Amino acid sequence: METSKKPNTRGILDWFDPRGRNVGGWGFIINRLSAIGLTVYLYLHLYMLGKLAQGPEAFDAFIETAKQPAIMFGEMLVIIAGLYHGFNGLRIALNSFGIAVPAQRQLLYGVVGITLIGTVVFGVRMLTTH
Amino acid sequence: MQNTLSQPKPGESYLLWLIKIVSGVLIFAVLIIHFLVNHLLAPNGLLSHAEVVAYYRNYPIVPIMEGFFLVFVIAHSLIGSRSIVLDLRPSPALMKVLDYLFIALGLFATGYGIWLLFAVINFGL
Repeated sequence: METSKKPNTRGILDWFDPRGRNVGGWGFIINRLSAIGLTVYLYLHLYMLGKLAQGPEAFDAFIETAKQPAIMFGEMLVIIAGLYHGFNGLRIALNSFGIAVPAQRQLLYGVVGITLIGTVVFGVRMLTTH
Repeated sequence: MQNTLSQPKPGESYLLWLIKIVSGVLIFAVLIIHFLVNHLLAPNGLLSHAEVVAYYRNYPIVPIMEGFFLVFVIAHSLIGSRSIVLDLRPSPALMKVLDYLFIALGLFATGYGIWLLFAVINFGL
């Protein structure tokens, strides 16, 4: 409990210090890493969608490229990050307004569960569609 | 775990914190629609150029929704990036410069996204 109030003295390295971390602390680290990944994806996504302005050849060629296994693997990482960050964000939003505060740890386990199930669903869907 | 509740951090106004939370919830809602249409209803799991143009033209609410989605996501990502930077304890002078950079990036990305929406709607006209 005290650890989350510990002043952040070592900057970014402090995020990865496993000592004395509680469950919520890990939830926070994963939230932050997924946030960084999703931010990178957002600007990449906006840049690639610029091909829509270039016309069907450019965009449809890009869509074909996106069906390669390496890209699909990257997309799965985006899905995992999005599921976790989205559901964890809803949990944080609820708790911030005083809702379900005593259940926040159980809700975090639920978030992890939804992320795992969602990952399997998206993965199967992605593999069977292409 | 009581003290891990989300709250504005030093250097972050209550308004920015609230925008981060509210935009997050709105993104969640729009993202569900975005996924249903772009990946579940799309025959190949991905829309082609012609399908995107037709979708935008046939349902004018869609480009409007995507425009709001764009603004929510950019705001959320920039406020979030800013709170990560705040955790690294920058000097107030550096933070001021970074704030201008965040605002510039946000305006540029929003302008580009809205230009792109119109480019898709007007494609080939």
